[in-house]
Order: sequence, then C-alpha cells, then structure tokens
Amino acid sequence: MTASAPDPAGFDLASIPERIQSEVQRAIARSIKGVEYISTSGPSLGSTPKDILSARGTMNLYHYRPVADEIYRVPILIVMATTNRGYILDMVPGQSFIEFLLKRGYDVYMLDWTAPKPEEKRLRMEDYVLDFIPDCVRQVQRDSGESDVTVIGYCFGGVLSLLYGSIFADGPMKNLICFTTPVDFREMKLFQSFSDRRYFDVDHLVDSIGNVPPEMILSSFEMLRPASRAVSQVQLWENIWNDEFVKSYRMFDRWATDTLPLAGEYFRAITKDLMWDNKLYNDTMSVGGRKADIASIKVPILHAVAEHDHIVPYAAARPLIEKIGSADKEEVILKGGHVSLVAGPNAVRRLWPKLDSWLCERST
Amino acid sequence: MADKSNDPVALWQNMIGEMEKGFNAFANQAMASPEFSKVVNQVGGATAGAQKQLSELMEKYLLTMNLPSRAQMVGMAERLQSIEGQLNEIKSMLQQMQGSTAGTGSPATPRPPRTKRPPPAGGEQK
Repeated sequence: MTASAPDPAGFDLASIPERIQSEVQRAIARSIKGVEYISTSGPSLGSTPKDILSARGTMNLYHYRPVADEIYRVPILIVMATTNRGYILDMVPGQSFIEFLLKRGYDVYMLDWTAPKPEEKRLRMEDYVLDFIPDCVRQVQRDSGESDVTVIGYCFGGVLSLLYGSIFADGPMKNLICFTTPVDFREMKLFQSFSDRRYFDVDHLVDSIGNVPPEMILSSFEMLRPASRAVSQVQLWENIWNDEFVKSYRMFDRWATDTLPLAGEYFRAITKDLMWDNKLYNDTMSVGGRKADIASIKVPILHAVAEHDHIVPYAAARPLIEKIGSADKEEVILKGGHVSLVAGPNAVRRLWPKLDSWLCERST
Repeated sequence: MADKSNDPVALWQNMIGEMEKGFNAFANQAMASPEFSKVVNQVGGATAGAQKQLSELMEKYLLTMNLPSRAQMVGMAERLQSIEGQLNEIKSMLQQMQGSTAGTGSPATPRPPRTKRPPPAGGEQK
C-alpha cells in the first residue's frame, strides 16, 4: 500500500487515477447495460403459485398453495388497496411477503383488484365493504374449513378492513393487521389540498368521466414528491451497471406505475365521507346505512406504520390504535416509506419477522 | 479508501439527493395553498368536460370509419377474460373430479394439517 499525502483541499490525489478508471469502466458498463435495459423486460412478478377461488368484476380472490408440511389453524385474508396491484406483496422469490408467510406456515388468501370496467362505475363503498370482503371471507372459511380468519389490510385495504371489522364486529375476523392505514384524513395534507371542497367538484368529475382514470391517481401520488421521478431516472442511469439495483428499480417502478382506476361512485364516497367530512375519525361513518365505528372492533390488532411515509403521514395513521376498541393492540413504527415498509430489503429485515412473531401465537 | 466527503461522485449524489428534498419540500409547500388547489381543480374540471366531449366525438368518428372503438375493444377483452375464467373453472373442476375418482375421497390438492404451533419463545423458526 503506498502512502499518499492528501492535498490541501482534502483530495486523496493517489486515488484519482484509480477512481477515473473505475468511472470509465462503469460508463462502458452503463452503455452496454442501457441497451440491455431497453431490449429486455423486467423480472416476472407475482409468480408464487396460486389458484383463483373467485373472480367477479373488479374482485379477484386468490389462494396461494401452501408450502409448509404443517400450517397454522387460522387462515389469512389479505385485502389489497384498491388503487394498486397485489403483486407488491409477491415481488420475486426472496422478496415476496406471500412466500415468507407460506414458508412460515400460514395459509394465505388475497383479495386483489383488477381495473373496474366502465359499467362498474356504479360500484359504491357498500359493494366493497358489505359484499366483496364478506363474500371473500365466506369463501376463505369454506375453502379452509375454518371459521376464524385473520385479515391483513394494506393502505386503503386497511381502511376497507376497518370498515368491514366495525360492521361485522361479532366475527368471523379473529385478528386484524393494518399496514399504513389512514384514519384522520385531515392529516393527509396534500390530498386535502387536491380535493379541497371549495374547488374540487367531485360530482362533475365522476358524472363526466365515470371511473377515475389511473393516470389521475398516479399523478396525484407523484405530485406528493414531484422531483422524485426525475431523480430516480438519474439514479437509474448512474446505477445501471448494477444488476441488483436495476432489478429492484424495475420491480418497484413497474408496480408504482401500474395504478388502477377507481370506480366513480366509490371515489365520490371516499372524497365526501373521508376526505371532506373525515367521518372515520369523527365516528360518524356509515356504509349502506350501517354504522361503522372502529371502537366496536375488539379483536387483536397490529398496526404497522412507516416513519417516512409521504402518502399516509404518521399523523393520519396514529389515531387508529387510540380509537380502536381492542384490548390487545399494538402499533409498530418502522423505518422506511409507504412501500418499503411492506416490500423490499427493509421489509424482509423489519416488518415481516415482527408480523410473524405477533401473528403466530394468535393463529392457533 | 477515499474519503467520501471528498469523493466527487459521492458529492454529486449527495447534491442530487439534497436538490430532490429541497424541491419536493418547496413544491409541497406551494401545493398546500388554496390558490394551487383552485387553479388545479379549475384546469382539471375543464379537462374532464373536454375529455368527455372528445371521447363522444371520437366514438362517432370510429363508427363512421367502421373501426372498433375503445369501449368495444374493452368489451372484447372482457369476453376473452370471461372465457379464460370459465376455462380455469373447468380445469379446476376436472382436477377435482380426477382427485375423487382416484378413490381417495379427498380434495384434489391435499392440504397440510392445521396443527402448527408457534415456536417456543426464543426458538428459531424453520
């Protein structure tokens, strides 16, 4: 090893040729990999073996094939957010939450959504809370032969699960796990600004276009961090020589841009009841004339929230544990953002083991 | 090993990161204002109306040209999807029938027993 004196500005002069050589090599690799990137498709996502138990319009119920020799008694039903695809929880082997659960001995079902068709613009909150979720729960009971079901809701899937659990407080939900679930919609400051009732005519929008197009949903998410897309492109180019970085980028970018439209009437209800009147937080929420008060939920609950969540800020998610009626309740705040909480290397290390240790003793 | 604080590449990456944070924070502040909401929603409202008119016009144009519209293509895709769904159902029924004619009397895919217990405290999960 040669000793090198740093120059007055603090640069290690001896390392400069080495650094230049490494940067030139990376530049060459970028050009080669750049061509590869354009000419190939990304990794195959959501490939854990599963069977479709039911497909009805926008609703799909999957059962993932168990891999363990012995499984826990209580099956899990995952309720996905209605704006995004469920494969965020089943990216690739080694980075799949579903695969993790299966290997740990859980029996896993997922209520996932496809784009509502133009004629499904009339789907209301009632259809999601009083029809789709109860129907899936019944099918899980029938398929598994068990009366108890653990429900896991991600983001707005968590809101739907809370509404379902409040209305069907006598069961069959045995445990509830929510990931980054908003309750106080006043605290979703930017979404509040986008949907300001003085200027946002939701009736005109829904009456004009029916289902809310995915581009509009995507741009409202992207507007929360307007510089991030451009910066991520720069970062992609800088790291295109790195296969692992590119693989991860492609997975998350594909998922993030694969946004679903929202059924018009359902969007109208979300805007009026939750964004404008904050009914879930104010304990005045009802669905199809049935009161949905989260204080009526008494089952064990785990709420996982992310420290740096720009979509559901902590202030919007915090009241869930305060307001819920359960005696056995826990909130866990983990490092990461809205998506890295549930998927990717951070989730593998943080959320998934925490969830397993919480759920295993409540699944027998 | 080169000092990160003097590494031009690390400095560049840091600068990009800081710019991103700064711009996002600035934009978020601007977007939280009622003026922003007013302008965006005025434009958005006008666009929604125009979009509806344009799609109606386009529908008429495609009909005149004897071409399928997007709605018709979506309809076709739905029918295909429904056919695929029915094929899947038939496939699964056949598998079940195959399972029951094998004389086992059990469902087509054997399920593992629901007897798993949590690992003992401090025990390692397999």
